[in-house]
Amino acid sequence: MQLRARLRSPGAIPTSSMADIAFLLIIFFMLTAVFVTTRGLQFRFPKDDPTQVDVQPEEAIHIKIMGEGQYMVDKTPMSLEEMGGYIQMKMDQNPQKPVIIQTQPDVPYFVMIDVFDRLKYLQVEHISIPTRTEVERWKAFGIFE
Amino acid sequence: MKKRHESRRIAPVVPTASMADIAFLLIIFFMLTTSFSPERTTVQLPDSEIRTEVPRNSAIIAITADGAIQFTDGERPSFPLGSPEEIGLLTQEIIEFIPDKEFLIKADRMVRYQLIDAVLDQLRVHGAKRIGLLTEKKVRRGT
Repeated sequence: MQLRARLRSPGAIPTSSMADIAFLLIIFFMLTAVFVTTRGLQFRFPKDDPTQVDVQPEEAIHIKIMGEGQYMVDKTPMSLEEMGGYIQMKMDQNPQKPVIIQTQPDVPYFVMIDVFDRLKYLQVEHISIPTRTEVERWKAFGIFE
Repeated sequence: MKKRHESRRIAPVVPTASMADIAFLLIIFFMLTTSFSPERTTVQLPDSEIRTEVPRNSAIIAITADGAIQFTDGERPSFPLGSPEEIGLLTQEIIEFIPDKEFLIKADRMVRYQLIDAVLDQLRVHGAKRIGLLTEKKVRRGT
């Protein structure tokens, strides 16, 4: 009787392996976690109506991106800083003034983003990024070169 | 004296019980912060200062530096496309059900604009309205 009493061990839950399992799961979630970049520059396309041109190109500021650091703003070559000043001046006169960004095909994407970002920074409300069919349509209307 | 000293000695143990609590807390944290994005292509995004939050579950068009295009509607995993023209039909299908769907362009900073233009053109022609250009945070100004 005495012997049996000594054999009885206190009841315990094996908790040491619990941590192992938990850390395994942590590692799994850490490795699968993708820190998604869900931020960026947003814009809207105008309603697609071939009979109507939403932006009047003759009234707009026309930025032509020729390459990195090479911008033609209203047919005048400017640096990004000069362009900022010029657009700021125009915006002070008329905050509703549309800005058209036209990028040459060979220019890297980030150059266009730099310009777009600068316009957003200057709080330009009407930024138009015409795509090639739009440019062709404008050319057909004779209001774009 | 000797007897008393021996009875006070406790067996050395590492307290492992609380370890699991800490670990599970971390698990819950990672589970909540993890978002399984259907688009996992790694590209070097261009930088911008202005960055607005884009809606989740947007369609994503990823373009790598070598010009490869991946497309996802925001729910199913992304799949490769052969040419920008294929985006047109996919866009049309999505716009039919969700006219206000946002389309995100996740393009490498060195991609030639020609390709971006072709993609934007397809989106515009096939009825997409809202476009987002994904960017990274610009570290400093004037670079």
